[in-house]
Amino acid sequence: MFNETVLKEINEIRAKYPDRRSALLPSLYIAQREFGWLSHEAMQFVARTLNLPEAEVRGTASFYAMFKHKPVGRNLIQLCTNVSCMILGSEGLLDFLNKRYGVEPDGTSGDGRFSLVIMECIGACGTAPAMLVNTDFHDNLTEQRIEEILEKYK
Amino acid sequence: MITLTINDKEITLDKPLTVLEAARQAGIKIPTLCYHEALKPYGGCRLCVVEVERMPRLQTACTLMAADGMVVKTESDTVSKVRRGILEFLLINHPLDCPYCDKAGECELQDLVNKYGPTVGRYIEEKRRVPESHKDEIFTRNMSRCVVCTRCVRMCGDVQGASAISIMGRGNRSRMEPFSAESFNCEYCGNCLTVCPVGAILSRLYIHSFRPWQVDKEVETICSYCGVGCSLVAQVRDDAIKRVIPRMGFGLNKGLLCSRGRFGYEYINSGERLKTPLVRKDGKLVESTWSEALGIVADKLMKVKNSHGGSALAGIASPRCSNEDNYVFQKFMRMACGTNNIDSISRTGFAAAQKYFEDLLGQGTTANIIEGLKNSETIFILGGDPTAINPILGLAIREAARRGAKIAVLGNAKGLERFKTLQLVPSVFKEADVLEALLNEIYNVKGLRGENPALDKGIRALYEKAAAAFDMQGFDNLKKILLDSASTAVVLGMDLLQRTDGHRSLFAIAGLIYLLEARLYLLSEKPNEQGVVDTGCVPDMLPGGRPLGIHDFKRKFEAAWNGVIPENEGLTLLEIIEGAKNKKIKALYIMGENPVFNLPNESFVSEALKSLDFLVVQDIFLTETAEIADVVLPALGWTEKTGTYTNLERRIQLQKKAVETSNGMEDWKIIAEISNKMGYRMNFADSKEVMDEIAKVSPLYRDLTYQEISKGNCLWPYNGEPLRGEISEAPAVFKTANEYKGDFYLAVEKPLFHSGTLSRRSPALMKIYSEPALKVSVKTAEKLGLNEGDRVQFFTQIGSKEAIVSIDESIKDNRVYYSNNFKGNGIFSLLTFNIDKLTKMPGLEGCEVKIKKL
Repeated sequence: MFNETVLKEINEIRAKYPDRRSALLPSLYIAQREFGWLSHEAMQFVARTLNLPEAEVRGTASFYAMFKHKPVGRNLIQLCTNVSCMILGSEGLLDFLNKRYGVEPDGTSGDGRFSLVIMECIGACGTAPAMLVNTDFHDNLTEQRIEEILEKYK
Repeated sequence: MITLTINDKEITLDKPLTVLEAARQAGIKIPTLCYHEALKPYGGCRLCVVEVERMPRLQTACTLMAADGMVVKTESDTVSKVRRGILEFLLINHPLDCPYCDKAGECELQDLVNKYGPTVGRYIEEKRRVPESHKDEIFTRNMSRCVVCTRCVRMCGDVQGASAISIMGRGNRSRMEPFSAESFNCEYCGNCLTVCPVGAILSRLYIHSFRPWQVDKEVETICSYCGVGCSLVAQVRDDAIKRVIPRMGFGLNKGLLCSRGRFGYEYINSGERLKTPLVRKDGKLVESTWSEALGIVADKLMKVKNSHGGSALAGIASPRCSNEDNYVFQKFMRMACGTNNIDSISRTGFAAAQKYFEDLLGQGTTANIIEGLKNSETIFILGGDPTAINPILGLAIREAARRGAKIAVLGNAKGLERFKTLQLVPSVFKEADVLEALLNEIYNVKGLRGENPALDKGIRALYEKAAAAFDMQGFDNLKKILLDSASTAVVLGMDLLQRTDGHRSLFAIAGLIYLLEARLYLLSEKPNEQGVVDTGCVPDMLPGGRPLGIHDFKRKFEAAWNGVIPENEGLTLLEIIEGAKNKKIKALYIMGENPVFNLPNESFVSEALKSLDFLVVQDIFLTETAEIADVVLPALGWTEKTGTYTNLERRIQLQKKAVETSNGMEDWKIIAEISNKMGYRMNFADSKEVMDEIAKVSPLYRDLTYQEISKGNCLWPYNGEPLRGEISEAPAVFKTANEYKGDFYLAVEKPLFHSGTLSRRSPALMKIYSEPALKVSVKTAEKLGLNEGDRVQFFTQIGSKEAIVSIDESIKDNRVYYSNNFKGNGIFSLLTFNIDKLTKMPGLEGCEVKIKKL
């Protein structure tokens, strides 16, 4: 269950809207932040806290790609493979991530340190290839730069 | 006035409608798929597109409001092309498995493609395949067939209010799923089945067993379970009920059903049905013939009557039997047996409460239309969860909540958790204090109405006695909501009243209704609780609510019935049981009731009945009571006979015969045969003739015929003359001094999925709720260190039981709930009772319970 601080945070969000359904997306976001991903249990907590039907919570959560429905590693890498990134070598970077860190698209490394998701264009075509690690943005990627960047994420 | 032209036809509307509705009203057909008359327009499937002059692009008729001067064309080359295209797109993924899909023959997509669709598909890739899910006990979910019209999801959320399913995923991967993705774990109303246009959700009760066009006949009848009396259609094949479906817009339920009504019908085909009369010989019940069994009954009853007088005989009628059955029953008891000792299980709640309110507030005070609940500004709910006891009435409350009504709940009510505005949970057995305090406060603000001397006196007397100001969380808010409301409905369940001083709550509620000018709805668990009272199966009234004590009435009935009605009022239900125990009652005739299981203190009741000289039980199953009877007579059940039922609104409805085969006899017929043997002639050819007699002798039902009743709007006060009760004295109030000191209290669970002991023979309902659980609150579970599914033993003063624990977040107090439905596991075997002096209802006692984890 959510701790007191988180409950307070959700209740504050809830108070902003006349309809408690409006607080659903931000609350799911908090749940994901707290638990790392949206388990059935986590969604039940959200449903209970907002007094919303469980099915509606899961229906909403399942619509959005950025909500995770299975456990993810401690850090989430989201690499773009759309046109510009692809031309500038993002596919090679995928191989590198697999070889160096043992993580495949939609998978998690054995040590639970990284999960990898291929994402659609993040608007960094001018400085491609680009990726997000958790919520941080990184561009002009090369194998070496990725190694340097990922050093910071344990 | 809006005048528009559709297909060159000028149409004038007297109220705003969508183009689709306007077209339908004018008999112009526009194809639809995601549209459903029970749901709000959605505009998802685009099949209803039409051309509208001076509007760009095609418009969806289901969402477009008709406007004055609009010119609409529902058919054109463009429109046909678009529709064909949409259907072709749907068929990209929809499998063409019609030959083995159960929906074929009543599938909307099949019909649409047949009429509007392409004859050949151009798509050559693989179809999306989703494995069929059989993980639910009742529904199969075939998501390959789903066309994502969302009708099921909208029905479940916007109408039923259960919101148990949703569309999961998006785009090509969208599919309907319950939260768990496996079992639905929902209210199992099955209303999603009604609206699914394709074979995506199907009922496992009839899957693969017949084709829709193989139905021999469809009989429009009413449900046999609760006091609402929903209309439904029984589909019969080979003289057996194959399926029960609602008909949209039909009956007071307007095409909605609950789990019991839709899935509970199988009990009627149960192998456990009684097949022949049984007679006790050498201590054992053995099969017998009708002539022998009826002969024994007539003979024994005559003997008891001759040697001990009529007052040694008693009869228990049944709110599951029709008006005709009950009318004949009371006539038999009064005229052939010579006693007014007639009552029914309704004495434990509905009949007693109904009489009390009617005496104080006037006849017909409970005759309020369920539909009208939706328009209330405030609904005050006490003494039970309407969404479980009378589910379709519960839906009206949920609809009112959606329309902005304030829903105030006193006590626990699971089904209203997401719909309530305010909830007050008084501590156990203190409800009457809260209600009296509320009445005092309301009186303090509003004063008396001066129209009802008895109530005025009573309210003032209560106020003068009142203690200091009442303090309870939410109390002031409740008071304010009630005072501010211009249109209030009170929905009353019986749990609150089954107390030794239950009449205190009754008076307080009557006072509130009077001062607030509120409408009253009594929850009713059985289909004919009102009918039992109205046909005279009560010890103090003749048919039509005519008091026995008023001589003119009695004389009229004596003339019509050609005999003498005993002078004195009879005994009430619990007094009959006590009478049996202390040998005042020697012979008891029970029609369609199971007092051993359904009354508190099972061992007491069972011993009382065992000490009778003679016990006859007439039923469709060998119940706990039938097992100890001297003679058991097999009766007919639902769909096997025709008869009328009076629902909690006092609407009289016709239940119709649908199947021929059965081994029993109509209840009234069995009784008439015995009566004839006893020398009091009763000659009825069929139930219609019984109704004709009721209509003749009872001024309440004057001139009522089956023809008129079957129109469906046979509402109080019918054609008859209601009798206004004149009471000028305030009813007495006895305060009991009982102090209750338990940590936890046992209370009766009224499950949505069960009804008395009938539902045990329904395999579907047994699958949904198969084992009684002890329902506890989160706090109780924490206090006792219990987890979901733990086994516990729980004890009262008179017994103990073992059960699994189920934690229920909607329980807000230290009550623990246990049902009275499962064989050998009824809560009533653990409780005792006192009789409320005023209402003769049982006040449940010995509810203090100790719980031990195993």
